[in-house]
Amino acid sequence: MRAGKRLLVALAGQPNVGKSTVFNILTGLSQHVGNWPGKTVEKKEGICASGEVEIIIVDLPGAYSLTAFSEEERIARDFIIKERPDVIILIANASALERSLYLLSELLLLGPPVVVGLNMTDVAEEQGISIDVASLKRSLGIPVVPMVATKNKGVRELVQEISSLSSGNPKYNPSVPEVFQDHKDVFLTLIEAVSKYVPHPYNAHWAVTKLMEGDPEVSATMEQALPRDKWEEVGLILRRHEDSLLAVVHGRYDWIEAIIRSSVSQFKRGQVLLTDKIDHVLIRPIFGIPILLGVLAFVLFATYKVGGPIQGLLESFVNSFARWVEPFLPGAPVWVSGIIIDGVVGGAGTVLTFFPILLIFFSFMAFLEDVGYMARAAFVMDRFMHIVGLHGKSFLPMFLGFGCNVPAVLGARIVDSRRARLLTIFLTPFVPCTARLAVLTIVAAAIFREQAPLITWSLIAVNILILGFSGMLANRLFLKGEPMPFIMELPLYHKPNFRTIGLVIWNRLIAFVKRAGTVILGFSILIWLLSHTPGGKIEDSFLGWLGRLVGPVGAFIGLDWKMMTALLTSFIAKENSIATLGVLYGVGEEGLRNVLPSVMSHASALSFLAMLMLFIPCVATVVVMKQEMGSWKWFVLSLIFMLTISFGSGMAAYNLSLHLGVG
Amino acid sequence: MSMELLSLVSLIEGEEGVVHSISTGKGLTSRLAAMGIAPGMRIKILRNSGGSVVIITNGTRVAIGRGQASKILLIKAQAQQDGRGKAK
Repeated sequence: MRAGKRLLVALAGQPNVGKSTVFNILTGLSQHVGNWPGKTVEKKEGICASGEVEIIIVDLPGAYSLTAFSEEERIARDFIIKERPDVIILIANASALERSLYLLSELLLLGPPVVVGLNMTDVAEEQGISIDVASLKRSLGIPVVPMVATKNKGVRELVQEISSLSSGNPKYNPSVPEVFQDHKDVFLTLIEAVSKYVPHPYNAHWAVTKLMEGDPEVSATMEQALPRDKWEEVGLILRRHEDSLLAVVHGRYDWIEAIIRSSVSQFKRGQVLLTDKIDHVLIRPIFGIPILLGVLAFVLFATYKVGGPIQGLLESFVNSFARWVEPFLPGAPVWVSGIIIDGVVGGAGTVLTFFPILLIFFSFMAFLEDVGYMARAAFVMDRFMHIVGLHGKSFLPMFLGFGCNVPAVLGARIVDSRRARLLTIFLTPFVPCTARLAVLTIVAAAIFREQAPLITWSLIAVNILILGFSGMLANRLFLKGEPMPFIMELPLYHKPNFRTIGLVIWNRLIAFVKRAGTVILGFSILIWLLSHTPGGKIEDSFLGWLGRLVGPVGAFIGLDWKMMTALLTSFIAKENSIATLGVLYGVGEEGLRNVLPSVMSHASALSFLAMLMLFIPCVATVVVMKQEMGSWKWFVLSLIFMLTISFGSGMAAYNLSLHLGVG
Repeated sequence: MSMELLSLVSLIEGEEGVVHSISTGKGLTSRLAAMGIAPGMRIKILRNSGGSVVIITNGTRVAIGRGQASKILLIKAQAQQDGRGKAK
């Protein structure tokens, strides 16, 4: 029997317990990141080889419990119930064991054997918490492996436990929580009523617990499965005991307390933790807000100071590469060399030159996230986010938008409610990304010379104000309803884990490069064709024709058809508009800086920049917006909204400048 | 001994209390319970100066929006007696 055994293992854990660190160690570079089928929740999978055994590890979404009230929790429990993994690993935080045991109390009811990875034992020790692992094992009746994942301790032992559990460990005899005694009889009556009808693969204990919790999904399933009179009987019992949920929760906490009492002792009580000392400053508005602004300003400043020159360097490299390629395509028809040089190298290549800027920006952000600061930033920003109808959690994805809108839209997944997630995605394109800022800088420098920094900053400020205004408007118009609940854990601060940070940066950059290589590449080629056929030059092309068609509209906002065309091409990638302006005005050797001032008035330039910054985002962002919104209505609505806002702003900028006598 | 029920938002920083009841829907009750905010649990107020409230329970720091926090009723822990009048 040479063929090795294959095991399916689910990795579960609440947020901030070091689960992703464990996953990264177990699977290394074998991990594959995708989506759960039909969901906008990330699914990570990887393989861990242990001797003859191949262990497939599926990282379940971080979940505090297994209710039906959040998509992550539903996915986690559906996976366990339907895929029946051979073993479940629960990563627990030793410094807050009660909380981790809550999730365990739910997992144990599902069936598959569970092994507890008791992580962060070093943190617990620092806090004066000592855990007697032997008695913890005894009172839980399941294997427990103490770990310090950040130092790679305990991982091998964890893998051994998986193998031994999967081959039927005789010592596996879990103690499971019971419903609190005042509802014990209700529980037993319900078990008796439903046990004959519980559909595969549910089990009666779990199903009844969920019924008592008022779980809508399980209730619907059971209604289907039970005969009408039985279901009515069940419904009557549940209605008569409205407080069943509390009895379930109470039972769990009694179970937790008994376990904690038998195996955890805490000395050094009442000590003030470093986290609380830092928070004393960081989450107080007087200090917290200026510090946050300072940190963010530093991140942006450092990103552009360091990343800007590198980007410029890469850009000239891409240009010389294009010139270098040209002689190799002598016999090729014009359209082939055109597509390769202008489309592939010029289009997708230019987008890739933003790579260093994004690398630096994402590194800062991932670092701040990892050490625990971003949760505080979200907390401090919470009250401002309320103005636009969001709360603190939306701040992180939106700030990511300053780098690139694509990961920002994807990042909106951390927002709990669908309503808030939709609004976050809706507003993200109003965050000026790297590429838009690049166009802004170049055009402002060419037209406004010495005043360029002032103009640039004012436009960014106005842009942010419009973002706030749009949020208020969207919230009033399309999102009437309950204010969204805000509950967020503030994790302990800890030393940065560079492995985790590295993987976060890697995943975000890959998302960007993949899009540059597929969507943007495809559209770059398409746009090249549109701008070179049938006439061969952009003036006599479909695109030029389209530009002229919408040209008259430009009269309201002070743009000629060339600028309108530049705006249209910005849909592929924002910096394309610079290239289009260059081609259409035939700047050639003279350079944009010398030609632009003679063809673009100050008022037109302001209008052009205002429109560009608020215009429909680049195609890559539009594609992910559609995916993540999962609704045509919202998607179309947001495109129309952006078009209206950008046109209105362009018109306002143009007319205001004319009135103020800005030539 | 009188057991005065106070809403979480009316406690000041540093005060502790035991959760008595939470008057909100099942979804939010379940979510709070999983994070250590359930009847019978002892929690301490870390930050309460307008805006969201930060509490610590079971060694976990949790920020709760003011609207939700006002629906959590507590019995103030006796250890932290002070001369404060009835909170608004």
